[in-house]
Amino acid sequence: MNWKIRRFGQAIFTVWAVMTLAFFLTRMMPGNPVDAFVARVGPELDNPQEAYELAEIYMNINPQDPIHVAYVDYMASMLQGDMGMSMSQNDSVAAIMAEAIPWTLFVMSWAIFIGFAVGISIGALMAYWEGSKFDVALTGYATIITSIPFYVLALVLLITFAYRLNWFPTSGRRPEGVEAGFNIPFILGIIHHAVLPVFSMFVASGVASLTMRGNSIRVLGEDYLRVARLRGLPDRTIAVQYIARNAILPMYTGLMIAIGSMFGGAVVLEEIFTYRGMGYYMIQAVRARDYPLMMGAFTVITIAVVIALLIADLTYGKIDPRAGNEDHDAF
Amino acid sequence: MTAFQSDATTRTNDDVIVELRDTSVEFGMDRGTSKVLNEVTTEVYRDEILGVIGESGSGKSMFASAMLDAVPEPGVTTGEVIYHPEEGDPISVTDLSKEELRQFRWEEVSMVFQGAMSSFNPVLPIKTHFVETLSAHDYDIRRGLTRAKELLSDLYLDPERMLNSYPHELSGGMKQRVLIALSLVLDPDLLVMDEPTAALDLLMQRSIVSLLEDIKEKHDLTIVFITHDLPLVADLADRLAVLYAFEFAELGPSERILEEPAHPYTRALLNATPNLSAPLEEMRPIAGESPDPVNIPEGCSYHPRCPLADEECETIDPGPYDAGPDHDVHCHHWEQSIEDLDIAFEETSDSGTTASAVEKASGDPLVSLSDVEVTFGSANDGWLDFGESETVTAVDGISLDIYDNDVVVLVGESGCGKTTLAKTAVGLQTPTGGTIEYRGRDIWEGASGSTLADKEIRRALQIVHQDPGASLNSHHRVRTILEQPLKRWHSDLDGNDRRERILGMLEYVGISPPQDYIDRYPHQLSGGEQQRIALIRSMLVNPDLILADEAVSALDVSLRVGMMDLMIELQDTFDTSFLFISHDLSNARYIAEKTGGRIGVMYLGELVEIGSAERIIHDPQHPYTKALRWATPELEVDQVAEESPMRSIDIPDPTNPPSGCRYHTRCPEAREVCATQTPEFVDLGDDVHAQKSACFRAYDDHEYWQSESITDEHADANVGTDTDTDSGVTSESD
Amino acid sequence: MRSEDDSTTTNESTDAAGAPGSVDELIPDSGGSTDDRSDATVRSDGGTVDTDSPFETTSTVTETRGDRIDRFLEEYIRTPWSILRNDWRAMVGFAIVSFYIIVGTVGVYLVDSTYPAHGPQMVGAFENWDFPLGTTSAGRDVLAMTVHSTPSILIMMASGAVFTIVVGTFFGVVAGYKGGIVDTALSTITDVFINIPGLPLVIVLATLLEDWINNPVTLGVLLAVAAWAGLARAIRSQVLTIRNESFVESARAMDLSTRWILTKEILPHLMPYIVVNMVNAARTIIFAAVALYFLGVLPFSDANWGVMLNNAYHAGALYRPSAYHWLLTPMIAISGIAIGLILLAQSLDRVFNPRIRARHQDVGGDETLEPDAEDDTKEMMNV
Repeated sequence: MNWKIRRFGQAIFTVWAVMTLAFFLTRMMPGNPVDAFVARVGPELDNPQEAYELAEIYMNINPQDPIHVAYVDYMASMLQGDMGMSMSQNDSVAAIMAEAIPWTLFVMSWAIFIGFAVGISIGALMAYWEGSKFDVALTGYATIITSIPFYVLALVLLITFAYRLNWFPTSGRRPEGVEAGFNIPFILGIIHHAVLPVFSMFVASGVASLTMRGNSIRVLGEDYLRVARLRGLPDRTIAVQYIARNAILPMYTGLMIAIGSMFGGAVVLEEIFTYRGMGYYMIQAVRARDYPLMMGAFTVITIAVVIALLIADLTYGKIDPRAGNEDHDAF
Repeated sequence: MTAFQSDATTRTNDDVIVELRDTSVEFGMDRGTSKVLNEVTTEVYRDEILGVIGESGSGKSMFASAMLDAVPEPGVTTGEVIYHPEEGDPISVTDLSKEELRQFRWEEVSMVFQGAMSSFNPVLPIKTHFVETLSAHDYDIRRGLTRAKELLSDLYLDPERMLNSYPHELSGGMKQRVLIALSLVLDPDLLVMDEPTAALDLLMQRSIVSLLEDIKEKHDLTIVFITHDLPLVADLADRLAVLYAFEFAELGPSERILEEPAHPYTRALLNATPNLSAPLEEMRPIAGESPDPVNIPEGCSYHPRCPLADEECETIDPGPYDAGPDHDVHCHHWEQSIEDLDIAFEETSDSGTTASAVEKASGDPLVSLSDVEVTFGSANDGWLDFGESETVTAVDGISLDIYDNDVVVLVGESGCGKTTLAKTAVGLQTPTGGTIEYRGRDIWEGASGSTLADKEIRRALQIVHQDPGASLNSHHRVRTILEQPLKRWHSDLDGNDRRERILGMLEYVGISPPQDYIDRYPHQLSGGEQQRIALIRSMLVNPDLILADEAVSALDVSLRVGMMDLMIELQDTFDTSFLFISHDLSNARYIAEKTGGRIGVMYLGELVEIGSAERIIHDPQHPYTKALRWATPELEVDQVAEESPMRSIDIPDPTNPPSGCRYHTRCPEAREVCATQTPEFVDLGDDVHAQKSACFRAYDDHEYWQSESITDEHADANVGTDTDTDSGVTSESD
Repeated sequence: MRSEDDSTTTNESTDAAGAPGSVDELIPDSGGSTDDRSDATVRSDGGTVDTDSPFETTSTVTETRGDRIDRFLEEYIRTPWSILRNDWRAMVGFAIVSFYIIVGTVGVYLVDSTYPAHGPQMVGAFENWDFPLGTTSAGRDVLAMTVHSTPSILIMMASGAVFTIVVGTFFGVVAGYKGGIVDTALSTITDVFINIPGLPLVIVLATLLEDWINNPVTLGVLLAVAAWAGLARAIRSQVLTIRNESFVESARAMDLSTRWILTKEILPHLMPYIVVNMVNAARTIIFAAVALYFLGVLPFSDANWGVMLNNAYHAGALYRPSAYHWLLTPMIAISGIAIGLILLAQSLDRVFNPRIRARHQDVGGDETLEPDAEDDTKEMMNV
């Protein structure tokens, strides 16, 4: 109980820290966006005062307010979900994000799931045939796939399967001309568009399989495994309940770090596939120097990661009986 | 094998449950084939308890595994292992198919491993382990669980609580007993126990061993009990077998092995085993080391260490000679051995101890602890950390004086706070209450954090750890390890002087040639050598008090006496005081009696009795000391199998210690007053150093004697309900 | 894999010399007391004890300066080399990384830099030996662009990796060893950084701090901002364990300086971990840097692998087979150095393993080592 509260506090602290950082960068850096905005927009307006009001609308910060007042205002509007107005998309940041979040979550959760599922399976096979040619070959494969950046794989997949073979669309996130909603063509269309982005994250399986291999080999040497064999347990029970469970549990930390880096990777991936998720908008905002949208996207991505890690951490206690009553080494 | 083949097997085949014929276990290694069991031929009789004794590296675990054909890969078992079921034809275990073997194991022969701590899958509850086992062998699960519960309560455990726990929630002693129950759940005929109690402290070991007898009777078991600890099985086993260098050295009825052992190794082993009754002068280490499995000496494998060895021994493998009924010995000169080699088995002559350290020690105490208290797990250790916290009072108000040239040995179960107390005494643990004075100065005066302010005091108080492997930094060579204290405290020496001094020290403690050792890494040394390096490292700074934390328990039995002798010698030579920690009363007695020091007995953070070795061993006053005394096995056979002098096996939860006298929940003498009032120390003599005991029974006139006994009504309620012993006490290292 | 059976454990020490068990030693002289120690007493493992105290000795032989230099070379040069020489991963990894370093130092002088309209537009790879890897749509030489972007990439990688290691190790070691309020503060900062997704943070900072990010070093440091926290946390938990080890307690009891304890007692145990992480951090930083250049969010003055990717992408290389070489060259360049770094990381931990070291030195001679020794740190890098 105790550490859960503590963990929850830590998540809130992180979100607060990120929002404060956002405020600091937007308002207080020399040459910061607010000042730049006022300097750029002010002269074009009849009433220079309007520039400050516009700044407040776009960025939730009135440059005329003292810093502490501006800070309180900024945090208050952030907490209400008001992240300002996008300068390039002509919509509120919150609305753009709300529309983009599900797409990113959809692609990234499948990418993480498939990457780890494949990695764990391959790792288990490598451990099972430890030392054989098969093991050597797969270890080599895993090493090579780990050294390919996901965006390189994404480009290769895009060239091969979209442009040359025409199996998958080259861009976009949903089928054209199909009624949105719960109908088969639409759902299939979405899956069709998501396949390449999801499989670009396949590179994560390389690290996962090497870790799984090491963990499994370690578990194979444990006393309890020897006792289980002597007790005559069926091979299936030993493989699933004994080896797999104990080998996968320590990977939980790695999985959580992967969540963070994969959400970061979404920025690049969505740009390559022109997949309109949070990352795509963030890059658009950077290109257009649309600071409210950029900071909003950054804040939302961070909150998504914080929540994902929080959930993963709190559920860890459910699958590992040893965790939960103390501050274990995961998050 | 020679022509003197033994024909001692007079029993019929019906009596044999397992026989091994020329059974060997081999491992292929880079350096050649390593034979870790060498053509062993023996029988195990039905309904007996066979004790198998061997030091580490004698092949005893392989012997155990071979009986189930369960030698771990890539080991190969050759020869025959034949199992005789009660009805039906003999089964050749080595010829069974995989499926037959799967059924045979656990149903006919089951096994308890040394590593009970890690014998359970950490992510599954205990109950699942039982259910899995039952269903894998197509047993009825409901009936099986009923049997499991019965077994658990026979082992003084609370069945419901055990079954619903996860392995990490149980203490070591509990896990070990649950493992025994798990091994018996399919009702096997033979139970092989491989060092089943090695990781536990003595009281728990003894409690488990005393339960085994009942379990064996109740379930018609045959038990093969494998251990390095001869006294532990001495009164339990019907027959004893001594393994040396992967072969049997001697096999015979327990009384014969203990009273008239014929093999020189057995005799040497008995002499090397510290116990409570043998005269100290006759305890001596065995010279040399056990052979390498790749390179077993020709002929009799013991000949390089044997005082009787001659040419015959170097060439001819001694076959079993018949040294009496059922008594086989693998020695060409067994008769000479009985005649010429004495064993330290006679009762002690109760001769006066050597010059008492306490008598030598005079004047003001060197280190004086008063009312020291150490609590772990503070109420609030950081932001956002609220909710109830669990604190453990590892040391609760102990006062103790240590003098110059003094020796104090602290004994007690794991979790009793002895290590914490001792570390507090040498300034390595910050006390949460009370004071520690070194020659009248408070050692924590002006200290910040966990470092003593006065560097001279820091130098004066040193430590030697339990595990010699961990106390030396594996990344440094012996040279670097020993140079550092010299650089710090003898800055006048230059590099060459330091080297010379280190070489001299190495030579002094018997590590020679020192030039060969100075550039080695710790992993290139044996355990005994590592421990000596650790010892001289602390000696190099000229300390006044050295804490030796279980300093011999990680060593082989045959090396312990040698190590203790070395410490005693150093203590004598350099006028150093020693504070020893031991969970083993016989080691404690060896040291305390030889130096004339004191033994202090701790229970749940309190010192319950202290006095000279003689008083504590021969006239213990506190019921807990009596329990420890009971738990220390003796090398005697027909010793009356006393009932355990405790009402429950497990230590109460240290986060919530019992009220009044903390021992009242287990004490056989407890009366109502014990649960409410806390007994103070009573001097049992006029001298400052006289025995003291914290028990109402030490008073002639106390309301205790009018109080009602609480032993009966509580006896059942307490069994098994006491909680985890290991939780929370973090600093205890054993 | 080792069984728990003790009998397979070989006694590692060579036979201790001395008088092994003479008959007299085993036959107790009745009535003789143990206090009566004659000249030499047999120790349990066969050594002998002289009665002279060795505490007051001073040296008789001198160790020359040459000996000391020799010992230093043995420790830091010859032994690591001897270990790596026997490991194919290390050799391949070394070869690959050295190749990049040579390209980045010598290569830039051998290959002339390129400029628009340097050659014909869109020459394919291996078609024209003036431009072995072809040209871009602006007629620039792809090989020259690749070679000339290597130095800045390597500098960025090195500065980022060093920053990651220094900050991560500092936070981890100090938090772990000091404990208390220092630990709470440092761990909180670490946790915050772990929770923030790295790439978006770097993008935001790079966009807003555009003016400061003007050389590869600062860019490397910026990219490391997202990488150090994981290392700090891992090192902290290791230090927490090592801090309670007996050998650290002994060092404290002997009042060795905190600096000695941290650098000589604790740090060597972390070295494999640190080095492996440094190599992995280098890889992460290259990946991130190229990604950001590819996205066009970083300011750049000259071409590099990421910018090449970006240009090729925007020139339609995805659907123009004639431009594939333009896209593939930087892809191969980045994957190649990553493979080199991974192989190096997989083998480097061996250098720090005292068991393996001992095997590659003369001292200690012929004793055998357990086969499991080398697996210890392999697991770490995979997390």
